[in-house]
Amino acid sequence: MRVATLALEDFRNFVRQQTGLGAGINLIVGRNAQGKTNLLEAVHCLSGLGSPRGPDHMLVRSGAERAVLHADVVRGPRHVRVDLEIRPGRGNRALLNGNPVPSPRALAEVCSSVFFGPDELSLVKGSPEGRRRFLDDLVVGLRPARETLRREWERILRQRNALLRSMPRERGAAATATATLEVWDEALCRVGAELTAARLEVLAELAPYAAKRYEAVAGGGRLELAYASTWAPAGEGNVAALQSALQSALQEARERELERRVSLVGPQRDDVVVMLVSAGDPAGEARDARAYASQGDQRTCALALKLGEHDLLSDATGEQPVLLLDDVFSELDPARRRWLGGAVAAVDQTVLTSAEPDALDIGGVARVIEVRAGELRDAQ
Amino acid sequence: MFAGPLQDLIDELSKLPGIGPKSAQRVAFHLLKAPADDAAALARAIVEVKDKVRLCRTCFNVSDQELCEYCRDPRRDATVICAVQEPPDIVAIERTREYRGLYHVLQGAISPIEGVGPDDLRISELLSRLRPTAEDRPPVEEVIVATSPNVEGDATALYLARLLQPLGVKITRLASGLPVGGDLEYADEVTLGRALVGRRSLSA
Ligand SMILES: [Zn+2]
Repeated sequence: MRVATLALEDFRNFVRQQTGLGAGINLIVGRNAQGKTNLLEAVHCLSGLGSPRGPDHMLVRSGAERAVLHADVVRGPRHVRVDLEIRPGRGNRALLNGNPVPSPRALAEVCSSVFFGPDELSLVKGSPEGRRRFLDDLVVGLRPARETLRREWERILRQRNALLRSMPRERGAAATATATLEVWDEALCRVGAELTAARLEVLAELAPYAAKRYEAVAGGGRLELAYASTWAPAGEGNVAALQSALQSALQEARERELERRVSLVGPQRDDVVVMLVSAGDPAGEARDARAYASQGDQRTCALALKLGEHDLLSDATGEQPVLLLDDVFSELDPARRRWLGGAVAAVDQTVLTSAEPDALDIGGVARVIEVRAGELRDAQ
Repeated sequence: MFAGPLQDLIDELSKLPGIGPKSAQRVAFHLLKAPADDAAALARAIVEVKDKVRLCRTCFNVSDQELCEYCRDPRRDATVICAVQEPPDIVAIERTREYRGLYHVLQGAISPIEGVGPDDLRISELLSRLRPTAEDRPPVEEVIVATSPNVEGDATALYLARLLQPLGVKITRLASGLPVGGDLEYADEVTLGRALVGRRSLSA
């Protein structure tokens, strides 16, 4: 699929701008802090699933009450008009071909994208939070309806943490507080188990795609993905079994949680471990890339994960998501740059930013758009 | 900033829920231009609502008497109590004309983020309504928990269920289902999943 035209109103630093985008590679140029990344972010927001860079209220130009995006999306033989109104605190609204949809996430069935920026490049060496977010975004990307599950989970966790913070210190003095905690425990276990099962399912789906991409760039070796959890039994994907495992783990952690006044076990502490078997020793055991791989190899893993995500979404939905690359090339060595360039050439539509377009070394650029102080113009 | 009384009005209006500074200013100027009678009627209505409307002694619904219209009505089925979060929920349920029992307004839902715990709700008052009394009321046989279908409403429902279980009263929860008139394909999995769990038989 591709986005053919995009119009922005009061989105980030754009007051009122519009641009066409071509099939193939679209290069966004301009100096730093002109709004290049904001344009990629706008394309990403067309899925109705929010921004990869922060909460909705940051998307609205300061002084404005709402941001609006309009786009013409080409999806196979279909042309779809997408309108999204971002209204922080009042709920976003979306139209498909002029008809209101019950939730903006319905747009994800029409318009999807994979965002890859500097944060994603450090996916392997970065914090567990980044890897959890990557996985949860993929859960929602594959099955947009699960956005509700994710939001419900986050709300329950916040509520439970707020309760733990307010629990009276003296023991036995608070039968009501304990009974209330048990209620939140039950919610945490039920929804936490559902979320974990969804993550495991998606991780298993992603693994072969990421492995294939890794092998292609590393010229051998094997990438494996594992879910690391202090409470979920390895290999257990059944929701009911996960729920009772989380229940026992909570029971065990009760004293410590009351002491520390924060939730200590559950999916919010889990992680994705990227394991590598080196090309030189195919019979060797898989080792944690975070600890044992070079920075270059870690980046290769990150690229493999993100391109694997793109492949998985393409196969699962029958349409390639738009690939959004935010200043990624400049961070890569020439060999990886060439490889990524080759991968990009096979994608229906890529939008990428660069502060130094001359150093890019990729062919077949369909369109060059210059961003200067929140204004867009064709630069070809 | 405007001169004295006008700015006071804007400040007061912007304390209201859902009204930002811009809307407050718009409303204030609207009132300024409105006929004096209209403005006086609004002021009177505000004073009277605080003066005359109070909470029902039994169920904590809003009322202009000691007991609300439902608690006063002898035709209502006193063996069923429907527990809701706020008085407007009663209005919504009454509109269905499907319910003939009594109500109990909890005055909120459990939400630790907002500092609301069970003790801040009218839960002990609900409990005392379930205990057998000397009055010639029939005993309550069923409590329908009609809290909102969200994280806080669910937690409140679960808390109530655990609390009421030992009393031998039947406890039911409103089925959370699919919106009528909505497309099944747009229903989220949580809603759809719960609708499946709460499915009912169509065969005799
Ligand atoms: Zn009453």
